[in-house]
Amino acid sequence: MTARMIIPLSLLIAFLAAGCGAPSAERPARKVPTARPPAVYTVGKSLIGAPGGARVALAAAPVTPLAGWLTPAVVPSPDGRYVAYNAWQALREDDPALSWADQGIARGDPLARPSIRLHNVAAGTDDVFADGAFSLAWRSDGAVAYFQGDEPEYRAGVPYRGQIVVRESLGAPAQAWTTQSARYVVAGWAGSTLLAYEEQEGEALDVLALDGPGRIRTLARDSGLVAISPDGREALVERGPESGPPTVRTIAVATGAVRAALDLTSVDPAVGVAGYSGDWQGDLAVASSSSGLAVFRIGDGRIGLEQAISVAGEGVAEPRFAADGDRLTGWVTTPGGGAFLDCDRASGTCQRVVPLPTARGVRGFSAWRRPAYNPSRPQEGER
Amino acid sequence: MYCIALVAALVLAWTSAPAQAATGWWTFNRNTNLDSRLSWKWTYPPSPTEYTRSWRAGSGTSKDECELGNGWLPAGWYSLRGHWKDYDASKIKGRVWYVQDKVCRNGLTQRTQLFIHSEETASRGQSCTSVYDDRFCWERESDYYSDGCIKVARPSPVASFPNDLGSAHSTYHDYGGSSKHGLFDKPDKNELYVFT
Repeated sequence: MTARMIIPLSLLIAFLAAGCGAPSAERPARKVPTARPPAVYTVGKSLIGAPGGARVALAAAPVTPLAGWLTPAVVPSPDGRYVAYNAWQALREDDPALSWADQGIARGDPLARPSIRLHNVAAGTDDVFADGAFSLAWRSDGAVAYFQGDEPEYRAGVPYRGQIVVRESLGAPAQAWTTQSARYVVAGWAGSTLLAYEEQEGEALDVLALDGPGRIRTLARDSGLVAISPDGREALVERGPESGPPTVRTIAVATGAVRAALDLTSVDPAVGVAGYSGDWQGDLAVASSSSGLAVFRIGDGRIGLEQAISVAGEGVAEPRFAADGDRLTGWVTTPGGGAFLDCDRASGTCQRVVPLPTARGVRGFSAWRRPAYNPSRPQEGER
Repeated sequence: MYCIALVAALVLAWTSAPAQAATGWWTFNRNTNLDSRLSWKWTYPPSPTEYTRSWRAGSGTSKDECELGNGWLPAGWYSLRGHWKDYDASKIKGRVWYVQDKVCRNGLTQRTQLFIHSEETASRGQSCTSVYDDRFCWERESDYYSDGCIKVARPSPVASFPNDLGSAHSTYHDYGGSSKHGLFDKPDKNELYVFT
């Protein structure tokens, strides 16, 4: 049989096969994945996806300059009635290219004023909840914890110290849970225990567990909190490589005992290190890694690497499981501003999503795009 | 006797004159987290000729300068806020230079409490006790990693790294750096420039 015969015969077979098959209208269409941003997020002052409104204009842009993404910029309340967010009022310009001396900034000069604001979703009101404060964690019963600065202004050359305070409800008085003024960042509730960072010289981070006023323990030195287990009993923390081989560990929040550990030098080299501020759902946790994202399976006193997903460019921040569990979201810094990532776990691929692409931030910088989420556990239905 | 004193004064003045007249600044050339270059540059004004000494240095564990606690030092000029030879905080000790806070390239995130330092005790010694890694002992290459600061090596009983911290410290004092130790009351003329 020659090629002259084979080619027409092949075409005929293909034509007949197509004709004999199901009508094209009934064939399952190939699903073209459409990249999606996180369920609730902000772009500049716009809050998108909150209950009761597709797009809400907040009074200020949620940002966390003194905490990076150690803590969420926006935290929805457990009952869905409020969103709490971190705001930042710059009191004078600080050009990153120039030294303070060249800009005439002297030690003690006020540079900015952080605050936590509350947006009432139903009423549409937006008020300052705590002035000179940042990083808020919302417990499932409505109690809130946050860092309250010793003074309202962040000043040049003066470490922004203060206390972690807790209110049993929004209207309750604030009670200090820390006993020493220091640099703290609130991360989230693990049941009735509050997890927070103490930031020390050189930006060294210790994870603290606060069980009540004056009851403070160091849960993990020189470590970052990846996520809190769904039942609130364990914390997944990362460490290294500046203080030993990079590892991830699960720690019992109540006792500080290490339940499981994984030496990241023993797994896929693409992982390298794990980053803080990830997510934990069921027996899976996700963290940023050197090359993108790492998904870990946790259970029975062990941690294993489930999947490594490569993401081009700089690191991924705040990776989280989407509601369907098959997708992961996160965000990356891009030259044109932050972009959300939508990653398909099955294919191991990620797409960038840039909602409101023309949004602009202050002083020519791009508008921040940040997810809104509550890292505290347990949440509704997770007990 | 007067002649001897005069000659001694002239010799002292001549030998110390270059250091007195020099003006210097740090530069940091970011290459990798483990292997970048810290330099001290100086001139003898009004001569524009620059002299340089450089040392291997590390910074951060990530190249994202906006990643608090992990990213390397952000680019730009920094004022020096202090210099100690016996700094004694909980995480950083010994010979250190304290630099200003810096806004990273996203225009908002503040990197704070940043230093040039090594791994040594407040008395400039080594505390090498654990199996793998001590915070105040320079054991291995991975000690170039930091939470965000610039780090240079020094020798220890368990590893033979060069005395780069000692060299940087003496070069700073000998060629135009401030003679003061402690927190600077006013912005120091010696600054740090971190290349993009």
